[in-house]
Amino acid sequence: MTDATNKVEDNTITIEIDGRSVQVEKGSMIIEAADKEGIKVPRFCYHKKLSIAANCRMCMVDVEKAPKPLPACATPVMDGMKVYTQSKRATDAQRNVMEFLLINHPLDCPICDQGGECELQDVSMGYGRDVSRYVDSKRVVQDEDLGQLIATDMTRCILCTRCVRFLNEVAGTDELGGIGRGDRTNISTAVGQSVKSEMSGNVIDLCPVGALTNKPFRYKARAWELMSNAAISMHDGVGSNLFYHTRNGDILRTVPQDNEDINEAWISDRDRYGIHGFKNDQDRVQHPMIKENGHWREISWEEGLDTLVKQFKKFDGNEIALYTSNYASTEEYYLLKKLFTQLNSDQHEHRINQTDYSSDDRLPRVDVQLSHVAEQHKIVIVGGYVRHEQPILNHKIRQAWLNGAEISAFGPQAFEQNYDLLHDFVANQTQWVEKLGSLAKSVAEIKQDFPNGALGEWVKAQKTDEDINHLAKQLLKDSVNALFVVGQISQAHPQANLIKALVAWLAHITTGQVNELQAGANASGAHLAGLHAQGDIKQKEHRLNLIYQAELQDFADHAAIKNTLTNSDFSVVFNAYCDESLKSRVDLIFPVALLPELTGSVINNYGQRQVSMVAQKSPGETKPGWRVLRVLGNMMDFDGFDYEDINEVMTETEKYKLSNPIINQAVKPLEHVTKGLVLFAQQSIYDTDALARRSAPLQNSALASSDAVYVNEKDLLSIGFAPGDLVTVEQSGRFAELTLSVSEELPEGSAMIAIGRESTLNLNSAELNVSIIGVLS
Amino acid sequence: MYQVNPQNKDQELAMSLLTDETRKHIDHWLAKYPIDQRRSALIGALHAAQDQNGGWLSEEIMKAVAEYLQIPAVWAYEAASFYSMFFTQPVGRNKIAICNNISCMLRGADKVVKYAEKKLGIKLGETTADGRITLVKEEECVAACTGAPMMIINGHYHENLTESKIDELLGGLS
Repeated sequence: MTDATNKVEDNTITIEIDGRSVQVEKGSMIIEAADKEGIKVPRFCYHKKLSIAANCRMCMVDVEKAPKPLPACATPVMDGMKVYTQSKRATDAQRNVMEFLLINHPLDCPICDQGGECELQDVSMGYGRDVSRYVDSKRVVQDEDLGQLIATDMTRCILCTRCVRFLNEVAGTDELGGIGRGDRTNISTAVGQSVKSEMSGNVIDLCPVGALTNKPFRYKARAWELMSNAAISMHDGVGSNLFYHTRNGDILRTVPQDNEDINEAWISDRDRYGIHGFKNDQDRVQHPMIKENGHWREISWEEGLDTLVKQFKKFDGNEIALYTSNYASTEEYYLLKKLFTQLNSDQHEHRINQTDYSSDDRLPRVDVQLSHVAEQHKIVIVGGYVRHEQPILNHKIRQAWLNGAEISAFGPQAFEQNYDLLHDFVANQTQWVEKLGSLAKSVAEIKQDFPNGALGEWVKAQKTDEDINHLAKQLLKDSVNALFVVGQISQAHPQANLIKALVAWLAHITTGQVNELQAGANASGAHLAGLHAQGDIKQKEHRLNLIYQAELQDFADHAAIKNTLTNSDFSVVFNAYCDESLKSRVDLIFPVALLPELTGSVINNYGQRQVSMVAQKSPGETKPGWRVLRVLGNMMDFDGFDYEDINEVMTETEKYKLSNPIINQAVKPLEHVTKGLVLFAQQSIYDTDALARRSAPLQNSALASSDAVYVNEKDLLSIGFAPGDLVTVEQSGRFAELTLSVSEELPEGSAMIAIGRESTLNLNSAELNVSIIGVLS
Repeated sequence: MYQVNPQNKDQELAMSLLTDETRKHIDHWLAKYPIDQRRSALIGALHAAQDQNGGWLSEEIMKAVAEYLQIPAVWAYEAASFYSMFFTQPVGRNKIAICNNISCMLRGADKVVKYAEKKLGIKLGETTADGRITLVKEEECVAACTGAPMMIINGHYHENLTESKIDELLGGLS
């Protein structure tokens, strides 16, 4: 204890800023000390998460004994240093720098989107002159086209280079640079390139002026008209903290909320632009609706719920089934479970995006919290494109790489990463799992210790090679405690439980750690509420089906759910959106609100429970799900549905305890006999949920998926079609018409499609055998 | 400190646009720096590419250089647009750069510029119609102040310029 205290003391020195004494770490900069103490120093180029550029010169302060003002962002503290931020020398320097910065700035604040929330405005009000003395002509900079997400007015740029540094250091994509020299410098892309990072929107928040602004939000509102609502992202398992900015109850944009443990100061583009899905309200359900003789009729909530209660009473418990996705609130899951318990049905499932039901549902194993991922030295990604699945986690993996970590990957595609991979084991969907088995075999042979049972036999049957042995030896080094990140490709894989058992065994034998990723913002909430069943309930016959906050696109097996809905007596949907393909298969639709439109808790992939507050009023007669379920429970005369408000439900869901998951090791590896091409059904970055799928800015951006089937160039000959041809992907009598495309990231013998798109709604991602044939006439 | 991020490993443009000699030249520079500081070889590499490409750097060839060095393309554009010895537009067969920094300016660099402009019928930054001569847009001090005013023709210094000397020098260019 004393040792630790001494260490801290050794590392701390005392300086004086404006007469206040401040304890700071050795080697930190004056500006950090001032920020810590809450003393305001104006700045443009300095940002706590980026490297120091010291090129705006705005943060000039007066340091005793220094012959001239010094930039606070680039001057390290020294014991006993006396700093004055308000002295005449400091304020003169700041005012003069401000004047230079404004020389080429157009001062077009009235027509600038940044007006009212502009650091340049604020700082010039606080530290600049009140009248401009500059009379000569100003420079004009040609604009850039940075794609659908970021609007540019480069004439307003003051060359702080925050955006350049963000893309180089955080996003890792290097799309922007400073072109030219001196007063003719401008921030620009290399000719013909645009910004393609999955985190690109953060440059909007970083830009201290109106040079980079939010394109879909452009000219929509002024900063002072907006209300800020704290919320949690509904798009991935990270649960990034956000503010929804609303005017008159409409969400107009999303900005990050700092949370050092989770998303730091960033959010992914999916979190930022997902809300534009609300604008695309063609399929938005506004009123309860019932299908009568093939025609839809709007009805009242009372009539609708009455009908449903009558239907409930017609059937026995287990004749009623529930399918729900993973982006509703915990309270809705909790009440659904309560409802189904009293309906005497255990046929409820939230794992609709998975294909392996051979083990019971459990919480994901998480050994390393998000805030510690960057400290790892060895990371093995198993079946996942973390960059698109959980961009914030990928950012932390990149931080680990920047700190010197070695990263290896197994998977069905040689994904483009923003860190170097030491190994990238790429093979088709069945073969990469075998490669993982090879790694287990290699480790087992060195340790003379094989897994038990069928898993051990399967591992023994795998082949190893030099690269696999290299990784095995590295993992077995005493000093190495690797982190295995089991991605969402594994989670949705037909052999998910085999993969998880293998990884658990590998982690056990190599003293490693495991993080399993799951899709959706609240899969843990759905699990803890108990919305899971034994086996694949789609395979059983049910007479009444309930779909809760899920579209057909959310299912991994589209074919089966369509059958289920068509073959049952009655199907009811509780959704915000209902497109034609779902509408045509159901009988009753209730409009319920999406996460940004309600208050509720979500539990992220890492077990952190967070409360998201209502930000937007929902359209028409839409109601928050918990209210609907409360009324439904009461109409059924069920116990425990007498809630006054959401807080009462939340006090009950708050009691959920996370437990350590037990990983099922008694798995039965299946030998997949594959002929032709092996399917890789990928959930693309912007096809994850109802909102992202409808967000025009996201769907028009560079990373959006397309109605295409991707193959390796070498397979073209056997397929017999050329890239660009319209072809049919055939899977046991099911067909999808797609455009044939070539990707060198795919291994030979593999066919990649994007699930979650209208065009692939006929396919089942669990069935790996596909072939590519001509268009059926 | 900048970070060298993973780059596209595709070398198609580098292999098709850069000659063996240019690549050998770049390799020479690359060998001087640690691999994670390979950006340092950029200026040498751009010079080699510029020499190969008739004295200027096209977008394509800058991309090829970046590809060969495994650095972002935008870094090549940054360097090429920053330094006045790189040309991003086609140039004449001969490049004439007239120093107009302080010492040369005091010794009449402005007159030299005017005389050369008048004689060639072009302004600074322009190329003669026959593609013979480009007057370089700007040239900073090249440490030849003792011989001011001076100009650089195709990399060679010519000092103590007079009108007759300029006539002689320009006349000798093909």
